[in-house]
Amino acid sequence: MSATGEALVEFDGVSVVFEGQVRALDDVTLAIRKGEIVGLVGESGSGKSTLCRILVGLTPPSSGTVNVGGLPVHRQLAQDPLAFRRRAQMLLQDAVASLSPRMTIGRALEEPIAIHKLPRGQTLEQLASILRRLGLPQDVMAKFPHQISGGQARRVGVARALLMRPEIVVADEPTAGLDVSVQGELLNLLLDLQQEFGLTYLLVSHNLNVIRRVTGRTAVMYLGQIVEAAATRDLFAAPAHPYTAALLSTNPAVDPRKRHKPIVLQGEIPSAVNPPTGCRFHTRCPVAQARCASEPPALVEIEAGRQVRCHFPFSLLKSGSDA
Amino acid sequence: MMPLVSIRQLTLEAATTRGAAHILRGIDLDIGRRRIVGVVGESGSGKSSLAACLVRLLPANLSRIDGEIVFDGTDLLGLSEAAMNAYRGTRIAMIFQDPMTALNPLFTIGTHLVDVLRRRHPGLARKVATARAIAMLRRVGIADASLRFSSYPHQLSGGMRQRVLIAMALLVEPDLLLADEPTTALDATVEAQIVALLEELRHGFAGSIVFISHQLGLVAQLCDDLCVMYGGTVVETGPVADVLGAPRHPYTRALLACELDDDAAGGHLVSIPGDVPDPVSAHVACVFAPRCPHATNACRSSVPALRDAGPGRRAACMRMEELG
Amino acid sequence: MTALASAFRILRRVCATLTGATGFGIVVLVLVAALFAPWVATADPDRLDVMNRFAAPSSAHWLGTDQLGRDLYSRLVHGATVAMGVALSAIAIALSLGTTLGIVAAYLPARFERFVLIVFDVISSFPSMVLALAIVAVFGPSTLIVVAIAAITLTPHFGRVARAQVLTLKSAPFLEAERILGASFARIVVHHVLPNILGPLVILASMDIPVVITIEAGLSFLGLGVRPPLASWGTLIQDGYQYLSDSWVPVVVSSLALAVATLGFTLFGEALRDAVDPRIRQEL
Repeated sequence: MSATGEALVEFDGVSVVFEGQVRALDDVTLAIRKGEIVGLVGESGSGKSTLCRILVGLTPPSSGTVNVGGLPVHRQLAQDPLAFRRRAQMLLQDAVASLSPRMTIGRALEEPIAIHKLPRGQTLEQLASILRRLGLPQDVMAKFPHQISGGQARRVGVARALLMRPEIVVADEPTAGLDVSVQGELLNLLLDLQQEFGLTYLLVSHNLNVIRRVTGRTAVMYLGQIVEAAATRDLFAAPAHPYTAALLSTNPAVDPRKRHKPIVLQGEIPSAVNPPTGCRFHTRCPVAQARCASEPPALVEIEAGRQVRCHFPFSLLKSGSDA
Repeated sequence: MMPLVSIRQLTLEAATTRGAAHILRGIDLDIGRRRIVGVVGESGSGKSSLAACLVRLLPANLSRIDGEIVFDGTDLLGLSEAAMNAYRGTRIAMIFQDPMTALNPLFTIGTHLVDVLRRRHPGLARKVATARAIAMLRRVGIADASLRFSSYPHQLSGGMRQRVLIAMALLVEPDLLLADEPTTALDATVEAQIVALLEELRHGFAGSIVFISHQLGLVAQLCDDLCVMYGGTVVETGPVADVLGAPRHPYTRALLACELDDDAAGGHLVSIPGDVPDPVSAHVACVFAPRCPHATNACRSSVPALRDAGPGRRAACMRMEELG
Repeated sequence: MTALASAFRILRRVCATLTGATGFGIVVLVLVAALFAPWVATADPDRLDVMNRFAAPSSAHWLGTDQLGRDLYSRLVHGATVAMGVALSAIAIALSLGTTLGIVAAYLPARFERFVLIVFDVISSFPSMVLALAIVAVFGPSTLIVVAIAAITLTPHFGRVARAQVLTLKSAPFLEAERILGASFARIVVHHVLPNILGPLVILASMDIPVVITIEAGLSFLGLGVRPPLASWGTLIQDGYQYLSDSWVPVVVSSLALAVATLGFTLFGEALRDAVDPRIRQEL
């Protein structure tokens, strides 16, 4: 699972504005190295879904560039769209709904063959072995999406994506809707597949336990910006940005010894149409100062491998006390 | 002290195209007075159906309901619909999961609250009701309470709407408050706010709360007692710290192992192999046996009784003593 | 579950109710008469026998004869062929045209979409009889004209429903999933959009059949549609009405035929719609 030095995906100053009003993404700069599993964390309005869509070419950025394998996504889509699609795949959040309702699973799995004109015999053999690998029974092929479970639907999505031998897979809430007792199984699968197929993942999850266990690096987003990006272990051990600290503290631990007073933020998540001036988080930040309301902080590398967008990083400890 | 609610052998079956689905299989549960009981379970556990039974809002395809729900001396299941309805909104209140759809978009927040008040206190003067409603909105942490009183649901955020639902439930001053996954639909930081609010409010609340959730951590934080459900049965009950600290049932243990999973990134994650039981299958063995690492033939051939597992604790496992 | 198996399932559900079964029965009757007219009829519908005009019903002429001695029963049967022929072709045209326009409208940029919708609105708000008169005035009456008029009148109906269906579907995750897989727009429309919107459209089509039957009958009654000596229920009613003083039989039986056929298709269409209720559609 070690990542090589080269960046497979590079977001550089990416901004997305919808309808001229909603600033879904603002100046996002992020690199994903080959072989990494990067976690993306954020609440509603953070822009994490938009970032995923940009990566797989569903939405074009309003400004900034996004490169996959060194080449801009929009150019790849213009020159050889099918090749790009084979390169970057996505597992949608609602696995059952991502399957065409009137198509059997079998037909749905053959879509890549038809679309990319893959060699039929060979690919079907690969498909059979992938299905075995994923633990999907043969009889699932004749069923319709509404007849299979969420977990099975998710695995069907994975099988379909793998058929094209992608380099990067965006997993949008892969464990959403799955019971705790079966989440581990799916995640283990994703980890194994990563080794086997040499995949790179961008994993979006609101489940901090999943992020902590599975990802190597994590980026935290708030209101369209990346507010912190660091190695997952470092992030969880000592969050630099007050929002990260608050977010991590909301995860109540079952073990009472590990439980600490959660940091409860005031107010609601502001609207993306009219974000707060200065630091976007200052309206809810427990340790905000005067400077925060007027001067927007830039995303700065404060230590090796750690970037924070904050004038006063490490001023809020995850225990809730000020530093 | 006698529990507020005593559920005995509650059985619920629904008719499906494949046969009768056993949603609840003989549930035994006590809800103590002024206690917060957390009910946890995964999909198919029946926890939401349990709540539906307590307030008797049952599915249309119901084919069988048996057992008793003794609420302060009266069996709710034996009541006529009219008599049962007299309990709703007066002695029993419920907070639903999805704040987006639980409020009528055509009415203002104020109308919702005043309606609740006037059901509870018939004949209450409008001015008095309005004042109490606004006071309650403040109590649940809504700034600009008078302004929000005249707002419509779509003008409020998810977190605020959930606060309104809590306000409505509290205005009922119920003996029993049911909260069905009240924070699941909310963002993490908003959820933290609601949880903090609930922690604060419970001290002033005179009734019992049943808090349904799939999040063990949340239940560990908020609740006094814990009830773990699996496949339509109760597998373990007891004070929350005891159950989570020293679980007696293999399912509880396995579930905790999945949640706690504290290893550093790199190793494989813990999960329970297999799938949740099919509700259509008959109840002749321990529901967890197919996935239990300690299952024996005895487990697979008879239903374990929910029996004593320590002070105030019960567990439904035949091998609980051996497994320690 | 194959398409055929689900079709049988739906049919069974349709016939489970009295109204549905009645409707289905009438539909089958009319279709058989329409398709096998030369065998179902007892005589040549155009054979004149003026000596035998307004004959009472007898074994030779089950419903008697009309003002020119033609066998009324046989003319009614051939009238079914006309009715079905016009209805099915008009609806086929309106369905294809309307669906295509509807899908196109749903994907067009706002300006063009508005234009398509305005065209729909204009056609819908135009009184169909006036439209019919105008077209007939230019092209003269004929069966083809009736088909054209009915098709034009119904196209906006299908178009709007198709567009609404596509709009609902546009945000569906599976369409995005297909885009991510690399499916072209054409593939998405043909393989994923169309199959999912066709259901309601087909039901709409079946419920519009009685509408077209009535349009055709009405136009033919006014002499604006089918030209004699071709037997259409409309012309039969017109003839019967003209010679009412001679015999009440022709106008009554031809009106009955029209009424029963229309009723039958309406009942069937509604039963079909109920049978494919989304709640039940789960099982399909």
